[in-house]
Amino acid sequence: MTLTSVFEQKGFAVTGEVGPPKGADATEVLAGARLMAPYVDAVNVTDNQSAVMRLGSLAVSRLLLEADITPVFQLTCRDRNRLALQSDLLSAAALGIENVLIITGDHMVLGDHPEAKKVFDLDSVQLLVTAKGLTNGVDLAGHKLEAAPKLCLGAVVNPGSDELETQYIKMEKKIEAGACFFQTQAVYEADVFAEFMTKATGFGVPIMAGIVPLKSAGMARYMNENVAGVRVPDEMIQRMSETPKADRKAVSAEMSGKLIRQIKDTCQGIHLMPLGWDDIVPQIIAAGELKA
Amino acid sequence: MHATIQKPLEKILAQFGEGEKVFVVGCGNCAAKCRSGGEAEAQAMQQRLEARGVKVTGWAVPPDGGSLCKLSLAQQLLNVDHKDATAAADSFLVLACGQGIHTVIDATEGAATHPGCDTIFGGETVTDEFITEYCSLCGDCIAEQTGGLCPLTLCAKGLLNGPCGGASEGKCEISKDRDCGWHLIYERLKALGQLDRLRQYQPPKNYLKSGGPRSLTMRGKQAEFAFASGSQTAWSGTEPAPAVSAEGDQS
Repeated sequence: MTLTSVFEQKGFAVTGEVGPPKGADATEVLAGARLMAPYVDAVNVTDNQSAVMRLGSLAVSRLLLEADITPVFQLTCRDRNRLALQSDLLSAAALGIENVLIITGDHMVLGDHPEAKKVFDLDSVQLLVTAKGLTNGVDLAGHKLEAAPKLCLGAVVNPGSDELETQYIKMEKKIEAGACFFQTQAVYEADVFAEFMTKATGFGVPIMAGIVPLKSAGMARYMNENVAGVRVPDEMIQRMSETPKADRKAVSAEMSGKLIRQIKDTCQGIHLMPLGWDDIVPQIIAAGELKA
Repeated sequence: MHATIQKPLEKILAQFGEGEKVFVVGCGNCAAKCRSGGEAEAQAMQQRLEARGVKVTGWAVPPDGGSLCKLSLAQQLLNVDHKDATAAADSFLVLACGQGIHTVIDATEGAATHPGCDTIFGGETVTDEFITEYCSLCGDCIAEQTGGLCPLTLCAKGLLNGPCGGASEGKCEISKDRDCGWHLIYERLKALGQLDRLRQYQPPKNYLKSGGPRSLTMRGKQAEFAFASGSQTAWSGTEPAPAVSAEGDQS
């Protein structure tokens, strides 16, 4: 099912996210996806997340589909040139995958193969234009396809960016290019997100707020220091640091749920990124008063 | 300016065979400015190599700021001015850019060469002590849309349609010491009153023109740039171009 049809039918979508392993065995990542599947409309599969080489997002997306889980195939611009990107989009459609999230991708120097040749042949706006072209039956070089893929294209935006004007401009370019929905960078401050949404709502495309449950105070501090546009409030960090390890998941789910309750009426969906804490999803769904 | 930096001495030494006799050749232009292959560096290299037991037959740098990558200068330098010392050498250690290495090969009709430098970028000489890169020599300039600042070069990901989500406080996601190229472009366009240019879609780049080896041929006022599978011609005269010199791209 496409996320577009979820928005049309329910007006609100909830997605989860799994990260493929560094290895050829998909058992665990599938188990994680199965845990969250009953509570979400679709599950994102990350593409060499953080520029760390892993099992492919296309393969795991297909495995999800075989497990009756709707995948969102994440596709980054970092690792493939325009031939490979288009080929993988056709492959996704041929494998029955309908939802694709188009992202730039973290730079290679942040990952585990920093000496890799950078590709970025297309940027995320150009890739959206290209993917949209494919759905219209024409490739980037203007050649007609024998069969056009059916794809629901999504994109990302960083609502906490300290240069929001360029984020808005790029967001509009992505919409113009064919983005049908947006997933955001992790949100922790309801007021910052609300501020972002006052303008973004006007673009008329569904926006799903990104939620990353905190695993520890250290993780929060790391993100504040190193992840652009993410600011975890001091109260949340304090709360996590006071919480015994055994109770952290419950407290984290409660904090995520509270945030979701604060923002869910301002947006069209929630994108949960549990970063391996897949079993926290049902608790967050309950705490956030989200319907499956 | 082709910026170069000397390879570590140990790496240079590892390139020589047992008993190999070497002639050191530098460049009076770029490598001299980079202090990687001017007269002082070439002379010092002879001494550094000799101190490590390498037989050096001599050193030379094109005089008067001359570029080693100009074939006629390299021929004069190696085949006339330093004829005896180069004839006594088994190979050339080139303290210059990669163009200079090939110019030595051409000038000597195929002598053995060793790179003494890494060729690192084409840059602006901001001061005598600082050279920095603003152009990636891609063959298809798009700086009109970005206030003269090249996103391909200044953005770590070479993005053409605006910043990624990884920038923070004007710095790039790969290092807090590195400016976000799109932040620089944004500030520049704002200052120029051209922020609307950020809204214009930039199509995928034509990388046909960026792959080597490329060449440029000048015939009077006409220039022809040949790339992987096509060419581009330009006419610099004030009078109309002859039909055969019409400007444009051909692939």
